[in-house]
Amino acid sequence: MGTIVYAAAMSHVLAPDYYGKNVGPHGRAMVEDLIEVVKGMGRELLATRPDALVVVADDHLNVFSFDAVPALCVRIGRTVERMVQEDAIEFDRALDGLPERYPLHEDLANRILEEGMEAGFDFAASWSAPLDHAFLSPVSVLCGERPVPPLVPVWVNCFVAPQPTARRCFEAGRHIARVIADSPWRVAVIATGGLSHFPSLSVTRVGTSDPAFDRRLIAAMEAGDHEMLRALPMKELHETGSHELLNWMVLLGAVSPARARVRFFGEMGRIDLAALEWMLP
Amino acid sequence: MSRYDVNVVLYRLKKDAAFRTRFVAEPAAALARADLTDEERDAFVRWDIRRLNELGGSLHLLVSIPRLGGH
Repeated sequence: MGTIVYAAAMSHVLAPDYYGKNVGPHGRAMVEDLIEVVKGMGRELLATRPDALVVVADDHLNVFSFDAVPALCVRIGRTVERMVQEDAIEFDRALDGLPERYPLHEDLANRILEEGMEAGFDFAASWSAPLDHAFLSPVSVLCGERPVPPLVPVWVNCFVAPQPTARRCFEAGRHIARVIADSPWRVAVIATGGLSHFPSLSVTRVGTSDPAFDRRLIAAMEAGDHEMLRALPMKELHETGSHELLNWMVLLGAVSPARARVRFFGEMGRIDLAALEWMLP
Repeated sequence: MSRYDVNVVLYRLKKDAAFRTRFVAEPAAALARADLTDEERDAFVRWDIRRLNELGGSLHLLVSIPRLGGH
């Protein structure tokens, strides 16, 4: 029987230069502190010797265009490439020195996809989507110089309305947990992104966040109050800039009813940074 | 669908360097064949990202177009 051996969620712009430039010295210092925490989490993750690492993250209109926006998408195939984009935004350029290609856990990805169809989860499948900072910034900090476990990237449409609901993302996570339980593998699961930033996806509100809302979210995760989180309407997530919580909802579904432990929480003004891990049975 | 057409142009500006160069040099000419309303076209030509955002332009595209976006 398969097991989720490690579960965590964390911010995914782990780039001190970006926050130094856009926020100032306190932004740089805060993300540097977060990076140290995530490095420690990575040591714990790899110590569980996972066969696969599921990474749930979102597309920043880097991979999927408006021609087709998958609500939920599983990356299948044998390997996945790092996104290479001319004149990429600075925190994607920060990935330039990383490996160009990463192994995928093809069998687990296929099972999530195929058994999803049977169970009522019509995941989109991609054979070619590359990984941007939403995946590789956390993965590269977690793993450092050590080999990256075979990945199963899962995309959630966080930004192009209409998005999947928090409840639907949670259910997708439950599906992933059932597939893992029926498999022979030890699997780590991480979700990335957030917390509150870019409220209402409005140009005029870039630079603001909603720390009070984020403290509520974190408290619910610590208490294991998943019903409160499942019930969050997209309108509220949109207005508070909590779009990427949808990634975390998939993770919550996978680990429920486990409670979270906060490894890092910081209110930066432009965004709130966090890293949480879940206390698994 | 208007939101779609605005974002098609933004996505192309992000991904297609030759199109972006033409747009920076001569925005109106670069957009001559784009399926946009007069209001959308005007916002592009003035590169008014606030207006483009109000017209449905994706924030993540607006802030990530090389040399035009500001993050």
